[in-house]
Amino acid sequence: MTQVLVVDDSSTVRNEVCAFLKDAGLVAITAVDGRDGLDKLRANPSIKLVVSDVNMPNMDGLTMAEKIRGELRNAVVNIIMLTTENSPSIKERGKAAGVKGWIVKPFNGPAVISTFKKLAA
Amino acid sequence: MNIRHRIALLVVLSFLAILSIGGYAVSESRRNAAEVKSVTDSVMPSTLASADLAALAKDVQLATMALVSAPGEDLATQLREKLAQQKAALTDGLQQQLESATDDTQRGQVKQAQESLDNYFASIEETAKLKLAGKQALAEANLFATVAQYQREFGQIIDALRVEKTRAKDAAIDSLKARLARTVQALLFATVIIIVILGGMGWLLYRQVVIPIARMQAEMSGIAESQDFGRRVPITRADEIGRSIMAFNSMIARIEESSIQLRQKTADMQTMLQNIPQGILTISADGTVHHEYSAYLEKILDTREIAGSKAMDLVFSGSSLGADTLAQVDAAIGACIGEDQMNFDFNRHLLVGEIERKAPDDSARTLDLTWSAITDEFDTITRLMLCVRDVTELRKLAAETAEQKRELEIIGEILGVTQEKFHEFIASSLHFIEENESLIRQHPEPSTETLNQLFRNMHTIKGNARTYGLRHLTDAVHETEQHYDALRQPRPEVAWDQPQLLGELATLRNFVERYASINEVSLGRKGPGRRGNVERYLLVDKAKIQETLLRLDAVNIANIHELVAARNAVQKTLRLLGTEALRETLGSIIESLPSLAAELGKAAPRVMIEDHGHLIKTQASALLKNVFMHLFRNSLDHGIEAPAERAAAGKDPAGTVSLTAATGGGMLHLHLADDGRGLALSHIRAKAEETGLLAPGQIITDEALAQQIFRPGFSTAQTLTSVSGRGVGMDAVREFLHREHGKIEIRFTDTRANNEFRHFEIVVSVPESFAEHLAEAASRIVIDTGALPAGKAVA
Repeated sequence: MTQVLVVDDSSTVRNEVCAFLKDAGLVAITAVDGRDGLDKLRANPSIKLVVSDVNMPNMDGLTMAEKIRGELRNAVVNIIMLTTENSPSIKERGKAAGVKGWIVKPFNGPAVISTFKKLAA
Repeated sequence: MNIRHRIALLVVLSFLAILSIGGYAVSESRRNAAEVKSVTDSVMPSTLASADLAALAKDVQLATMALVSAPGEDLATQLREKLAQQKAALTDGLQQQLESATDDTQRGQVKQAQESLDNYFASIEETAKLKLAGKQALAEANLFATVAQYQREFGQIIDALRVEKTRAKDAAIDSLKARLARTVQALLFATVIIIVILGGMGWLLYRQVVIPIARMQAEMSGIAESQDFGRRVPITRADEIGRSIMAFNSMIARIEESSIQLRQKTADMQTMLQNIPQGILTISADGTVHHEYSAYLEKILDTREIAGSKAMDLVFSGSSLGADTLAQVDAAIGACIGEDQMNFDFNRHLLVGEIERKAPDDSARTLDLTWSAITDEFDTITRLMLCVRDVTELRKLAAETAEQKRELEIIGEILGVTQEKFHEFIASSLHFIEENESLIRQHPEPSTETLNQLFRNMHTIKGNARTYGLRHLTDAVHETEQHYDALRQPRPEVAWDQPQLLGELATLRNFVERYASINEVSLGRKGPGRRGNVERYLLVDKAKIQETLLRLDAVNIANIHELVAARNAVQKTLRLLGTEALRETLGSIIESLPSLAAELGKAAPRVMIEDHGHLIKTQASALLKNVFMHLFRNSLDHGIEAPAERAAAGKDPAGTVSLTAATGGGMLHLHLADDGRGLALSHIRAKAEETGLLAPGQIITDEALAQQIFRPGFSTAQTLTSVSGRGVGMDAVREFLHREHGKIEIRFTDTRANNEFRHFEIVVSVPESFAEHLAEAASRIVIDTGALPAGKAVA
C-alpha cells in the first residue's frame, strides 16, 4: 500500500487530508509536528511523499525538510508544503531543502490527487 | 590552387633548393680536390726534381774533374763508372721531366737538355779515354776546352728548365686558389637567390592565407557585433578560405532566415497584443507585470500604468474580493512561479476566475480571468499568463436570456392549459394568497389551526399548479409551503415573522400575476375563454417554443455572439406571440364580402393583401376589424361598379380591393384601394352643399372636398342602403382611429384635378407598436371571395 506522511498540528487539516487520501486509495500516516514527522519517517523509510504544514510547534515544516535531507540523509522522499502565504524567503529555504511543491490552503483534493499518486509511488 | 597545394609546393621547392645547393657544393669540392692532388702529386715533385737535376750536373762536373786529376788508373776507372751511373740518373731525371712536362716549352727545354747531356757525356767519355790512355795533358786540355763548354751549356738549359717549372708551379697554385674562391662565391650566390625566392613564395603564401583569414575574421566579427544578418562576407576565392566563407555565409543565411521568422513572429505577437480585444498580461517572479501586455488591457483596467506594476494591485484593486481571498490568490501565484508545473495544478483553483470591479464611472464591470502557466524546458513555471475579458455585457445578456428562457417556459406551461381552466386557476390562486395574507395580518402569534390553514391553502395552490404542469410556479409555491410546514413543526427552527411572511406572499402574488399577464398580454387570452380557441391567434406554436428552448439550452454562454443570436431568436419568438397575419385579422370581413356583394348586385370581389411581413398584435385586431369592415363595405358599395357597368368599361366584372401594409414615421400604414370608378367628387360636393357643409359654388380643392366625407352626418349614398348607411359613417371610423392615436387619410392616385371621379386610396395609420415585423413572414395573397366556401356567416 502506498503511504503518505501527513504532518500538521491542526487535527482538522490532518483529518481532511487523510480522509481525502483514504478515498483516493492511499494510506496516510500522521504526525503532529516536524519532530514527530522525522520520527515517523525514520520508522517508515519506504514513504515517498510527505505533505507538511509550514508553521508548527516544536519543529516547523521547513526545519523538518532540512533535517530529512540532512540528518536522515533521505534525498528521495518528495516533500510538499501546505502554506497560507506567499513569502519569497520561505520559498528560498524550501527550494534549498528540496521542497517539490507548495499547496496553498484550502487544500483541493481533486486537483492534486493524480500528482500525489505519482509522487507517492 | 588551394592553400594545401601552395604549402606543399613551397616545401617541395625548399627541399629542391637545398638539394641543388648541396649537389653543387659536392661536385665543386670534388673538382677542387683533383686540382689540389695534381698540384701536390705532379707539379710540386716535378719542380723539385728539376732542382735536383742541377745538383746532379754539379756532381758530374766534380766527378769529371776528379777523374782527370785522379792519380791512379783504378780510381779513374771507378770514377768513370760513377759518371756512367750519374749519366743514367740524369737521363732518368730528364725522361721524368719530359713525362711531367705540361707544355711544349718545357718539352722543348727537356729535349734540348737531353741532346746537351749526350754531347756533354760524349766529351767526358773522350776525356776519360785520354786519361786512361795516359794522355794526361790531352785529357786536361779536353776537359777545359770541350767538357767545360758542354758543362756550361747543359747547366744553362737545366737552370732554364727549373725556372720554367717554378713558374708553372706558381701558376697552378694561383689557379687552384682562384677556383676555390669561385666555388665559395657561387655557393653564396645560390644560397642568397634561393633564400630570396623561398622568402618571396613564403610571403605570397602569407598574403594569400593570413590576410584573407584576417579579413574574414574582421567581417565575421562585424556581423556578430552588428547583428546585421543581412550582411555577407564577400567570396573572392575558391580555396579553403573561400569554402569556409561560403559555409559561414550559409550559416548566416540560416540565422537570417530564423531571425526574420523570429522578427515576424514577434511582430505577429505584437500585432496580436495590440489588437486582440482581450486583456493579456504575464506575471514575473517578483509579482510584477511584464512589459509586454495587450493594449486592450489598458481599456479594461482603465490605466496606462501596467508594465512593472504589482499584478495583485493592478488586477484586484477596486474589486469586490475580500482580503483573505486576495491573500490566497497572492499565495497561489507565489506558489507557482519558479516552481514545478504541478504547483499550478495544485493551486489553480485559488486563482479566481471572475471578479466584479468598479469602472471609473462607478459602474460595475465583470471581468473573466483565465490563468495559465508559462513553463521552460524543465517544466518550471517562469511566468503566469492572465487573460482578462470584460464579460459585463455577456453576463448581462446571459441573465437576460435566462429570464427570457423562463418566460418562454412559462408560456409553454400556460399553453398546456385551456384558457378557462387557467383563468380559474389564477382566480383561485389569488384568492388563496389573499386569504393567507389576511390570516397572517390577523395573527401576531399563530395558532396551530392558522398554520394548518396557511399550509393547506398553499398546498392547494401547489397541487393545482402541479396538476396543470406550471412548473415554475409550483417551485415558487413549494418554497412558501415548506416555510409554513417548518413553522408548524413542534419546535420550529424558523420564527413567525409577519413582514417576512407577507413579503413572501407578495412575491408569490407577483409571480401568479406574471403568469396571468403573460396569458393575457402575450397570449391574448384575456378572460375566461371569451375568444375560444387561442391557438388561432398564435403564429408561434408550442413546437416552436420547444425548439427555441432547446436552442437556449445548447447555447454557449461564454460566447457573446451565440448569446446575442439566441437572445434575438427568443425575442423574435416572444414578439410573435399574440400576433396574427393581416389576412387573419380581416378573415371574417373577407368571408362576408360575397353575400354583401350579392346584396348590392355586385360580383364577389377579389381581395389582394400584401403585408410585407407586418403582423398584427391581437389587441389591435378589434380596432382594425371595425375600421376595415366599414372601408371594405364602402369600397364595394360606392367604388366597385355593377358587373354590367364594369364590363362596358372593359373591366373584369368582379372588382379587386387591394390592401398593402407598410411602416414609416413610427406608424403602420395600411393602404386600401379598389379598381372601381374612383371618388365621386361631384356627388360629394352636391351632398355637402345640400347639407350646408359647403356654400353653393364654393371653390375648394379636390383634397378639401374629399375631406368632407369625414364630417359627421355625411353620407353619399343616393339611397340609404342597408349596407353603408347604418349611421356609422367615416366620421366614426376616424374617431375610432384617433382614440388609438391613429389616423385616416384620402390620397389621390391620379393627376386628373377637378374631374368628376378621381382614383384614390385610403391610408389607415396606427402606431407601429400595433404590429410586429418579420421579413420572412411576408406574403402577398389574392383571395377570390367568390370561390370561398359557401355558408360562411357574416361576423
